[in-house]
Amino acid sequence: MGAMNLDEPRRALLLALADDELIIGHRHSEWTGWAPHLEEDLAFSSIAQDEMAHARMLYRLLGEDSGEDEDRLALGRPPDQYRNAVLCERPNREWGYTVARQYLYDTADAVRLEALAASSWTALAEIVAVMRLEEAYHLDHARAWFERLAAGPVTARHRLAEGLETAVGEAVALFEPLPDEETLVDDGVLPRSNEALLADWLAAVGEDLEAVSLDYVLERHGRVGEMVPTGSGEVAPGESLSVPGLARREGRWVHDGGFAGAGGRHGRHSEDFLPLWEEMTTLYRAHPGARW
Amino acid sequence: MVKRMDDPTPSVAGELERRRVESAVWEALAAVHDPEIPPLAITDLGIVERVMVTGDAVHVDLLPTFAGCPALDVIRDDTERAVGRAAGDRAVRVRFVYSPPWTSDRITPGGRDALRSHGLTPPGAGGGSVFVPLAALDPPRAASCPFCGSGDTVLESAFGPTLCRTTHFCRACRNPFEAFKPKTRSR
Repeated sequence: MGAMNLDEPRRALLLALADDELIIGHRHSEWTGWAPHLEEDLAFSSIAQDEMAHARMLYRLLGEDSGEDEDRLALGRPPDQYRNAVLCERPNREWGYTVARQYLYDTADAVRLEALAASSWTALAEIVAVMRLEEAYHLDHARAWFERLAAGPVTARHRLAEGLETAVGEAVALFEPLPDEETLVDDGVLPRSNEALLADWLAAVGEDLEAVSLDYVLERHGRVGEMVPTGSGEVAPGESLSVPGLARREGRWVHDGGFAGAGGRHGRHSEDFLPLWEEMTTLYRAHPGARW
Repeated sequence: MVKRMDDPTPSVAGELERRRVESAVWEALAAVHDPEIPPLAITDLGIVERVMVTGDAVHVDLLPTFAGCPALDVIRDDTERAVGRAAGDRAVRVRFVYSPPWTSDRITPGGRDALRSHGLTPPGAGGGSVFVPLAALDPPRAASCPFCGSGDTVLESAFGPTLCRTTHFCRACRNPFEAFKPKTRSR
């Protein structure tokens, strides 16, 4: 069986899901040995292990269709073929950013997985059911730290707020529409569009942030950084993905406008991706075909 | 029952032989143990979803406990070997399937005893009312200490040395201990 076209809609969906999990899992694994204390070392190492396992199940499903090996899918693609959102590839920076990003990522992941649990693609819905049982622990972890930092002392609160301001715009870009998304929605493979998922997520996150008086970060959020060429050289200088604005209307947080440009879902990445890719794939590239 | 020329109803002797192999396969499966929790048989862990013995093959479907558990490959290999000895001339097909998702309420009473004998507190039994809400920093419903039995314990972390364990501290006997992580749909 020949490989599917990269923009074939189901492939784009699987790659977005799997690459997000693989890449954020890689970042989480970088806390191994460096987290503030031993329990967090174990927590982030365990979460990383779960996320990589989720990516593996999704790559395997993709491979069943295309005949591709799961290791090749995970580690053997050139950088511009990775479809993860830019949020996932950012370095861990410091603890406040790490907590902010995990909170934003896992709340967004919960929203999309809830929708995909009802996917008309049974094989995908089954994998999603397994993922959700494990993601519940990640969400608990993220919420526990979110609440603890938000409660202060003031340095902790500031660091969380700074992390949120930095990450929110790129978290919105987790919901960048997929190529040919309408087909997926019409077929019930993706039961709700990314735009509808974004609205659900934003309303929920808005409530959480209001509860700790940090909702101002939604208005102050930074833009998605510039995209850089990742191999194909197709990105014009200064190009970036622009995400919808965020506003509070009639008691809830909503998005305003749509996406413009192209980001992770079209293989565009930030300057942080290439160094990550080089490290992550070093062994695979040094020993082609090795099994472990 | 429709009887076709090319698919005759199995003879009584054939059916008896098939059933004998099936029970030998279950016996073999009960002798395969979790490599990370040696007293625990995979049948007590509740991961054997289906055994099907046909005329020329034995199919075993297993459920992964936690998707990223590195012991899964070892369990599959051990299962293949054990079933192979019971399967005679039949081909052995062991695979992991994702449906239904494994939940910790599939662990049998014997499995819970095996966990205790290994110094691990069994997970809360199935059903929504007894699930431990494992917010890492919230006081959850306490797990009982596997050493002294006290319920005066605290959850240290929802994460531990393996994906399937949580870490706790017993205030009564002042020992750290681990529990098998609850995994249920009622969250």
